[in-house]
Amino acid sequence: MELALSLGAPAEVYDVVIIGGGPAGLSAALYAARAKLRTLVVDKHPRAGALAMTELIANYPGVDEELSGAELLARFRRQAEKFGAEVVEAQVLATQLTSDPKQVITSEGTYQGRTIIIAAGALGRSGSIPGEKEFIGRGVSYCAACDAAFFQGKDVAVIGDSREMPDELELIVRFARRVYLLPRKRLDEEVRAQVTGHASVELLERAQVKRIVGEGAVTGVEVVDEGEAKVIPVAGVFVYLSGSRPTTDFLDGSVEITAQGCIAADPRTGATNQPGVFAVGDVTCNEVRQAVVAAGQGALAALAADKYLRRAKRMRQQWS
Amino acid sequence: MLMLIKEKDRAVIREMFEALVRPVKLVVFTQGPVHLPGERPCEYCEQVVQLAKELGELTDKLDVEIVNFHTDKERVKEYGIQRIPAIAVVGDVDYGIRYYGIPGGFEFATLLEAIIDVSRGSADLADETLEKLSRIDSPVHIQVFVTPTCPYCPSAVRLAHQFAMVNEHITADMVEAQEFPELSRRYGVYGVPRTVINEETHIEGAVPESIAVLYVLQAAGKLNETEAQQLAAISR
Repeated sequence: MELALSLGAPAEVYDVVIIGGGPAGLSAALYAARAKLRTLVVDKHPRAGALAMTELIANYPGVDEELSGAELLARFRRQAEKFGAEVVEAQVLATQLTSDPKQVITSEGTYQGRTIIIAAGALGRSGSIPGEKEFIGRGVSYCAACDAAFFQGKDVAVIGDSREMPDELELIVRFARRVYLLPRKRLDEEVRAQVTGHASVELLERAQVKRIVGEGAVTGVEVVDEGEAKVIPVAGVFVYLSGSRPTTDFLDGSVEITAQGCIAADPRTGATNQPGVFAVGDVTCNEVRQAVVAAGQGALAALAADKYLRRAKRMRQQWS
Repeated sequence: MLMLIKEKDRAVIREMFEALVRPVKLVVFTQGPVHLPGERPCEYCEQVVQLAKELGELTDKLDVEIVNFHTDKERVKEYGIQRIPAIAVVGDVDYGIRYYGIPGGFEFATLLEAIIDVSRGSADLADETLEKLSRIDSPVHIQVFVTPTCPYCPSAVRLAHQFAMVNEHITADMVEAQEFPELSRRYGVYGVPRTVINEETHIEGAVPESIAVLYVLQAAGKLNETEAQQLAAISR
């Protein structure tokens, strides 16, 4: 039998750990790597994020052929990796930004960085489903790897259609008897084929979720399906929703957040109130959400991180 | 026999164990070679024993003692062990750090960290946390329910064990929820990490040190007015 053992924090410390693999994060990675900084990008998924979902991008300077957002991102990434940046695919769960080195706790383990650039984008959700908060830990879960086994042989609901939902569902179907899948919007064909490939999954695309109900623990999900209100009896509910709010749920409370929920950052450098922590791109609520703006901010933050690490007075130019 | 710890990992752990200062003992509670009638089979006992022995081979500062849970009543009582498999991580003194069930997957890292902390005899906590914990003068029992595949769980386990290190009244258990279904049922564990403090107080998910300590104070009845308000604001 094989026993998976995680050793925890790797001993190595990066100069820069970048959270997010969109245009801001990967541009920061390019400039950081070119400044000879040990650079790591933690990216949730190459197809997650606002740019990755863009079918055609026509306003990125210098790119005049027909290119999808995902293809443009793949180029960003190749270029950053060419200069030595590392990219890991992992979900950031928590951060410790006041320690030295700072820590980024992810689904794949903990990474340490002397500086952190937050470029996590703005696909976070706002609000919650009625009953959701009440039943957290009593049947409501966000982590199939953690909790799916508790629902062995039981019926569960999966609410939402975020990018991680299909992968999470793969884990849930190993345990649950029946899975009611309740996406907010119509699934694209590829995802639909993947999820309906499981005999135990029942896709309810028309049903609208009203609330999570229970007594002490979850007992069901109230939905309206074709005008008819009903309760689907389930023992567990896994929630995978996304929205358009800055993604800041992994922060440790040490970084200033504005009343709008954005990270407060100096627009010239991305510097936050926390020394050595920078924020760029949509997570700072730019007035315009454009790849080219995010990329420019990423470059500035990398040079600012370099300046911080050198304790220098000025940023170093990269001429070529 | 097939090793549980891979060769590559053994090298990394050897290096980590260079930080060990004073000797540490893993007291491992397991079943005997012969099963008595009515005795519950212990699915992971053998592996926990093997894991502890393999760790012991990586440094001369780590001793491993194997105790038969069913026959060595004295040792069981001394360490207050309730069920098996169990590991007590013991240094110059017994800080009350326990593992119930196998510390596999993500939890393995917390075992390595606990060994290092116990060897140093200190835990890396904020001054403010230490001040708060110093007020606790009656028994506090923290049980952190986990699964080995839960990436959020180690931070909750680590905090609980660190709290146990700095105050003699606090004991802290990692409990692998799947191995002890009755216990999980008793405490209504449907998701992990779930931290149960003195039976009544509980925390869902992994929370920062500054918040976890408030729950511990609450369980011990030691919250001051400001802290009570802070906690109420969080729980809202």
